[in-house]
Amino acid sequence: MIYQYSEDQNAFRDSLRRFVQDHYDYESRRQRVAKSAVFSPDYWRQLTELGVLGLPFSEADGGLDLDFPSLMAVAEELGRGLVLEPILPVTIAGRLLAASTNRTAKNHLAGLIAGETLVSLAWEEASARGNPLLTQCKLGARGDGYVLNGKKQAVLAATESQLYIVSARNSDGELTLLLLDARQAGISRSSYLLSDGNSAADLKFNHVDVPTNAIIATGTEAETLLKTAVSEFIVVMAAEAIGAMDQLLKITQEFLKTRKQFAMPLAMFQSLQHRFADMVIATEKLRSLLWAACQQLGGEQQEKAVAQLKVQLGESARYVGQQAVQLHGGIGMTDELNVGAYFKRLTVMELLAGQQDYHLGKLADLAVVS
Amino acid sequence: MMSNQFSELDAFRIEVRDFLESAATAEIREAGRKTTSVFAPFKQAMAWQKILYNKGWVAPAWPVEYGGTGWSIHQRYIFVEECNRLELPPVLPQNIQMVGPAVIGFGSEEQKAKYLPGMLSGDDFWCQGYSEPGAGSDLAALKCRADSDGDDYILNGSKTWTTYGHHANKMFALVRTSSEGKPQQGISFLLLDMNTPGIEVRPIIGLDGEPEQCEVFLTDARVPKANRIGEENKGWSVAKYVLEFERGGSTFGAWLTPAFERLRTRCQQRNEHELRLIDDVSVARKLAKLEVDISAVEHTEKRVNANLKHGENPGPMASLLKILGSEVMQRFSELQLEISGVDALALQHAALHVGSDIAAMGSEADMLAMPYYLNTRAASIYAGSNEVQRSLLAKAVMGA
Repeated sequence: MIYQYSEDQNAFRDSLRRFVQDHYDYESRRQRVAKSAVFSPDYWRQLTELGVLGLPFSEADGGLDLDFPSLMAVAEELGRGLVLEPILPVTIAGRLLAASTNRTAKNHLAGLIAGETLVSLAWEEASARGNPLLTQCKLGARGDGYVLNGKKQAVLAATESQLYIVSARNSDGELTLLLLDARQAGISRSSYLLSDGNSAADLKFNHVDVPTNAIIATGTEAETLLKTAVSEFIVVMAAEAIGAMDQLLKITQEFLKTRKQFAMPLAMFQSLQHRFADMVIATEKLRSLLWAACQQLGGEQQEKAVAQLKVQLGESARYVGQQAVQLHGGIGMTDELNVGAYFKRLTVMELLAGQQDYHLGKLADLAVVS
Repeated sequence: MMSNQFSELDAFRIEVRDFLESAATAEIREAGRKTTSVFAPFKQAMAWQKILYNKGWVAPAWPVEYGGTGWSIHQRYIFVEECNRLELPPVLPQNIQMVGPAVIGFGSEEQKAKYLPGMLSGDDFWCQGYSEPGAGSDLAALKCRADSDGDDYILNGSKTWTTYGHHANKMFALVRTSSEGKPQQGISFLLLDMNTPGIEVRPIIGLDGEPEQCEVFLTDARVPKANRIGEENKGWSVAKYVLEFERGGSTFGAWLTPAFERLRTRCQQRNEHELRLIDDVSVARKLAKLEVDISAVEHTEKRVNANLKHGENPGPMASLLKILGSEVMQRFSELQLEISGVDALALQHAALHVGSDIAAMGSEADMLAMPYYLNTRAASIYAGSNEVQRSLLAKAVMGA
């Protein structure tokens, strides 16, 4: 088991951190969110040039063939800087295309790695409450092909993407994965920002024509691809959370040392020292489970490790975010200070890809089976 | 089974309910539902205050001779329960629960005649100038100076966390009139006009994206000494008096109980898969646990109210209820967010505004869950942070 980044991974991380520091001061980010200008094609290009998009893809597919912890290191820096560009969701969607056996899917990888094609994985539905296999999107037969009806919610980067990977059930009840052009007739999109400033959209599919070659996987293969993609998404999101939480701990400890009330720095009040210690514990628990989970990806224990990770992410993200605000007092409640932005990002993470209840339920089911 | 023992309190509840249902307009009800912080949307809160004022019900805890209703503590609680049952916007506390009692307790007859009517009717809105960037939990450390100049004070300094400062025409402030002795001994309570030259207001955007709080900058602002409430350097006592004015005034339970019912009802709706959240045992248990906590809050408040009759000093109970009530509110806001889940993620600024012609993307309740959750983090910070309150509670129980 490894529990830390290699020298190479740390070196890459440092260069990304410098990029983020140079381009992502909090006030600029705040202005971008206020204007809903959260996707910068220029930053996207620069991030692509840094090699960030190609990291976890095989050389045959045009990538750098680096291991998953390399992607985690990137995720931590994106979380630390509250980067708005959807590097991680697009990368995970790309890995689904790479893992599929479908030629059409794989043909898009070069464009994705080059930063020209953005792809969104559209699987979340509020009523599914985190279960990727529960969907009310239906793929019916029509003529030589198929027709899609249904909706997806909180699809990350849907507004910026040219392609959507959509999960739906066919008339035999099998799960299918479809690769659709975002501009296709019958697809309507209502774009918005999430509470943390990230770009997302709800998608409605109204009798969308799905030619046979748009189906990239069916049945067990579709389930495996989707479950793996969601698992990988949870792992990178947890890494992003670690970056955010580490930064929040840093900001909070600085504040506790400099802010004085009752003629004493807040750091001298024992109750606040203990609170800060509890924030550190919450962060370290998540860090540990992150390392454990990333090494279970693709293995027998993947489902269990990822479910545990998501439970811990929910608990730690909530605690650290809430307490960072509490320890800052009133200014933690303002838009002006970055603490609130980290808190909102951590809050959104808890709600994406299934909350604690869903994953605890999965763990309980897994325990029964074994 | 109908009881023949129809108590006076039951009759009072019906009287209150009938009035509220007839008097609350659709716009006021919308504002009540869209109250995502402890402060209701300004325009509708003041409109509702005016309606209650015309009924004579705007200040239930005030002495009758100044416009109070003469209701018992139980009737006051029932009134709050009924307002919350209809999800009405709470009257803003600044006029009625903060500056009004200060003037009642320490104002001269002339000051009472001059200021109380506008506070009561809502023709004036008095924002609070207490906290400063360097004086939050340690409010006594406030530095805003009021230097003597003949019959006036000249004010220099800044205030922060002034709710709706940008809507207010008046302010009540704690200012420093002396630097001798302990900090608390140099503070005065002063009333001022917001259009006094030298006063600048800057709204602060909150976590929900809305400007509710403000910074107020005072530069050589001239305020007559006649506007001081109570004696010079005795303002700290005026502020403490205000805190103790509404003993038994804790009404978290009166808000939480009907709000919880609404949340539980939402969990009984069927979704697209014909499933109900209430049938998920983990949701049902979380609801049940929250209900235990809400019940504890409600009965503690009612117990304190009942014991007041026997002349008991609430003592540590004020701190206890502040801690308990605010933390159960926070837990409620968390559970509400958990229940909305993915449906709570979208930012919906435009639809949140009262009278907006933009509808919520999904249900209104889902739209409100996130701003309400974010804003409610403040409940453990304002009105004495829960850390400070815990110290006060421990001291009060264990002895100083």
